[in-house]
Amino acid sequence: MVSAAVLHLWVLAWLASVLAAEDDYHLVIAPQSPVVQIGSNLTAICMINNTTEVTADDLYWKLSEIIPKEHYIKINSSALNVTVTIRSEKSEWLFCSCKTESHYVVLNRGKFTHGIWLRKGYRPEKPKNLSCIAVQESDTISSNIKCQWEAVGHQTEAVPTNYTLFIRQTGDKIYTASILGPVNKTTVDLNLFPHHMELEIWVVAQNELGKEESEHLIKLANCFVKTKPPSVAVISEAVFPTSLVMSWNSSIDKSYLETIYEIRFCPLGSQKWFYVPLADTSRYIQSFRLQNLQPDTVYVTQVRCKYNNNNKHCGYWSDWSSNVTERTPEDLPKSKPDVWIITSEEGLNKRQIEFICKDPEFSNGRIRRFNIMIEKQKDSIRNGTWEIIPVNRSLTDGSSSKKQITPLKTITLDDEESVTVYVTAINSVGASPQAKLIISRKTREPPAVEKTEVQSHNGQLFLSWKPPNRTVSEYVVEWVSDGERNWQRENGKTNYTAIKGDLKQFVQYRISVYPIYGKLVGKPVLERAYFEQGVPSQGPIVNLSGDPGCYTAKLEWDEIPLIKRRGFITNYTIYYRSGTETRGITVPANTTSYILTSLSRNTKYDIWIKASTIRGSVNGSNHSFTTLKYAPGEIEGIVVGVSLGFLFVVLMTMLLCFCKKDVIKDNFWPQIPNPGDSTIGNWSPDYPLKAEAPRENCLSGISVLNVDVCDAKCVFEEDKASLPLKKDKYLSEEHSSGIGGSSCMSSPRQSVSDSDEGGDMADTTASTIQYSSVVASSGYKGQNPSSLPQQSIFSRSESTQPLLDCEENHDTMVQEGSRQCFLRQPCFTHNAGNENATDSNDFNPLEMEQQEVLDFCPLEEDTEHTAPADCQSDDWIPAPVSSYMPQLGGYRPQ
Amino acid sequence: MNGHVKNMHFQQFMETAATLLSLLLLMTVDSTKTVALSTNQQCGNLLQQTLKITRIVHKESGDLIKTYKAAQGEMSELFCKVSVNDIPDPNISGLDPPARIASIYTHLQAFLPHFKRVYKQQTDLQSPGSPLLKELTRVWGRTESLASFMNTFYQSLFPNLPIPEPAGGPTTLPPAQNVFQQKVYGCVVLKTYKDFMSNVSKELRNLKSKVCTKRTPINAF
Repeated sequence: MVSAAVLHLWVLAWLASVLAAEDDYHLVIAPQSPVVQIGSNLTAICMINNTTEVTADDLYWKLSEIIPKEHYIKINSSALNVTVTIRSEKSEWLFCSCKTESHYVVLNRGKFTHGIWLRKGYRPEKPKNLSCIAVQESDTISSNIKCQWEAVGHQTEAVPTNYTLFIRQTGDKIYTASILGPVNKTTVDLNLFPHHMELEIWVVAQNELGKEESEHLIKLANCFVKTKPPSVAVISEAVFPTSLVMSWNSSIDKSYLETIYEIRFCPLGSQKWFYVPLADTSRYIQSFRLQNLQPDTVYVTQVRCKYNNNNKHCGYWSDWSSNVTERTPEDLPKSKPDVWIITSEEGLNKRQIEFICKDPEFSNGRIRRFNIMIEKQKDSIRNGTWEIIPVNRSLTDGSSSKKQITPLKTITLDDEESVTVYVTAINSVGASPQAKLIISRKTREPPAVEKTEVQSHNGQLFLSWKPPNRTVSEYVVEWVSDGERNWQRENGKTNYTAIKGDLKQFVQYRISVYPIYGKLVGKPVLERAYFEQGVPSQGPIVNLSGDPGCYTAKLEWDEIPLIKRRGFITNYTIYYRSGTETRGITVPANTTSYILTSLSRNTKYDIWIKASTIRGSVNGSNHSFTTLKYAPGEIEGIVVGVSLGFLFVVLMTMLLCFCKKDVIKDNFWPQIPNPGDSTIGNWSPDYPLKAEAPRENCLSGISVLNVDVCDAKCVFEEDKASLPLKKDKYLSEEHSSGIGGSSCMSSPRQSVSDSDEGGDMADTTASTIQYSSVVASSGYKGQNPSSLPQQSIFSRSESTQPLLDCEENHDTMVQEGSRQCFLRQPCFTHNAGNENATDSNDFNPLEMEQQEVLDFCPLEEDTEHTAPADCQSDDWIPAPVSSYMPQLGGYRPQ
Repeated sequence: MNGHVKNMHFQQFMETAATLLSLLLLMTVDSTKTVALSTNQQCGNLLQQTLKITRIVHKESGDLIKTYKAAQGEMSELFCKVSVNDIPDPNISGLDPPARIASIYTHLQAFLPHFKRVYKQQTDLQSPGSPLLKELTRVWGRTESLASFMNTFYQSLFPNLPIPEPAGGPTTLPPAQNVFQQKVYGCVVLKTYKDFMSNVSKELRNLKSKVCTKRTPINAF
């Protein structure tokens, strides 16, 4: 109530001062432009000034929208109060307006509205977690102190919070630094860092809504210091092989601040730090001796420091100093060297054994040499001598975490021999304990372990085995890859170990387990394994074995080199593609050749092979080939087959010809009756025979053709060429009865050609002569047309037999007298209605039939021009009844 | 009767008052003892802080002389062997701790104008980024701080004794000097100041046993 009354009084007093300045406005709001806290209630009053046009009842309030009347309080007729809760963060206007619509109000609308700008914000909250730090610059501490804190609560842009950092130094000297806005750190410059003086530091957060102060941080100035790390030096002392002395210089003078130290160290390469207890170094010291270290080991050391406030821990640790390494002095080797063997076959019944050795686990120094003595077991006394194997190894090799393997000696041993080897390692201080190993006879090697198994798990390769029945003192697990060899020893009671070497991915290891009985080496058991398998880095290279066939091709490929195999090959897949069709065939991993079948002939194939491991597959290179169009020998077979077939046909033909020669002869060379054998000569007694005597021989080959209807027809069809001859003969007989006087007349064909090529007759007659004869059944048909028609027989020979001399002579002889007759060309036509048909009526029926087929043409036209004139020449000698003289001489087929 | 009664009442009152006074006295003594203990502790802390700050100033003044000599060129070693008037005495005067502490304070105050003058002179002689100027500024500021701290220390030890100002009024500075004189003057001031700080360190170590360990009635001075 009191506060409300005070508020009213304040508002009225303020209004009294404002109203005078705002006479022009009839509405005035109080307070003007207030800063309001978000979440709190705002009370404002709207006063009506210098008007009676409106009353408090006519007023209304508007924020983002009209405020309901429930929030209004009417103070009097000219004042209206409103109370609203501020919720949003966004600043906005609060208006007081009049809803009356009188003329005056309408005309002076601006005077009847008044607004105030509400700036909204949050009250600042107490900053938390104030912390300050002063870092070292060069050899002193910077005068700038950097402080940061946690700004609690919210702030708005309209009402930002200003943070002021206060640092009060002894003597009430105060340094400040202010920063505005949502920033939570700042730096104060003290001009001079006040070592050993107390500082009081705090932060004040302030805005228009209030002010909050953080808790005061009261500490010695040195408690805010973070120095640079000290510079460290480490030395080793030869008489203390397990100790190193560290010394350092503080980065800042002791007068400024005393520091305590913390020390840590580790062997080089190790990530595990060993910390010296703070109780030993929590004082201002500048050296420290590290003890119980390993001899001949490089250690890395670091130191850091912090202000020592009488063991009241305050301040900041410096960063760790940079690494300082030092090697501890050497000491006597404290353990045996790790001697081992590499065995290989060397001829029949012999073994080659190479002794190799690792430095003792606690070599305590660089091994300079090994001493080795090999004793043969034949003798009961020691018969060996010590040999010195110098070790040339740099210092850095010895510092490597991986133990170096030194080859000691190689011997050749009979299978029936056994040896014992003794090895000691010597460093600069002395010799190690003696290591011993016994190589037994090969035939009496102690039993091996059983049932080994290798598994890769959790980034390690584990090997398990089943122990043999005998008591094993220890196991040697050896692994070899790409010429790298290593081994580790395991307790004789274990049957499971993880290989401790630095195994590589995708490399095949041959892992062997050797049981050691006492010092006697047992038989090994070998396993192959990958620490991690991968996809082969190279596919198999496929090639054709020989030439491809028509339908098959033999493929060959080499195994992928071990280094590129990167895993166990599970299978190969052979792909072959022709055109767009690709086929694949999967074959086992141990296959290196395959015969592709079912290929197409004369087709190009692309082939490649995919090698697969459990991790994936990789394709090999492509190889192309084309299958053959013909298989080898196929062409030869065809040629031979065709040849044989042809030969067969020829043979068969010949055989057929041979067997059927008579038929063929009959068909192709019909037998012409020998005119000599003809009875015509004899039959015609009127015919003088005196001329026959010299031609008897010539007529022996003449055949007599008995032309009947059938034969005539056949002849016509089979050899039409001969028909003109026949007709010619007939015509000759009819028109050139003089021919009959020429016993060696040329063939009818020749006679035909004679008409065309009369000049060549002599040559033609020299080549072939056809013999023909028309034998008139009724004797000679005279040229007298009135004479009765007589039946005649057409006899013919088409022999190409050269004429006999007698014939030629006769021809020559005849030609002289009857040349014109030979040139006369008989022409016949196959016209039954010939004008001369009347003449044919004189033929007998048989001849009539023949006449129908071979009807002679009188060739009147021709004969009108030639034949009649020639034939009726003066040389013409009337022929006897017989139209032809029988031709002598043999018959020769054409 | 009445007189007897009054006497009786008075006697009882006196007994009660005596008891109360005794109790009050006892409490006062105990309180004084506690205050003395806490005061001793505070004294020790203050003295220790003063001693540490003095060591810093001593160390920095030694570094400053080295830097100064290095910055002055040849014959710098000779500069410091020349005597100069009007330089504060490096020795601490006074017979008792308050006087000696006051002497320290007044000496520190007396050196400040000299530092100011040397700084001004060296500003003309050195480049602006010279280490000498930085160190000179640092020692100068450290001296002011030590003087302020010494004042606080003195007032905490001897709250009822006003700390004396330098005798004879403000520090007297030498007249205008040439460059050589300036160099000699600066070196002598710094060397004297270093000697003075050495003496202060010794004095404060001695004071520790005299001032803060004895249950000296604080208000006796």
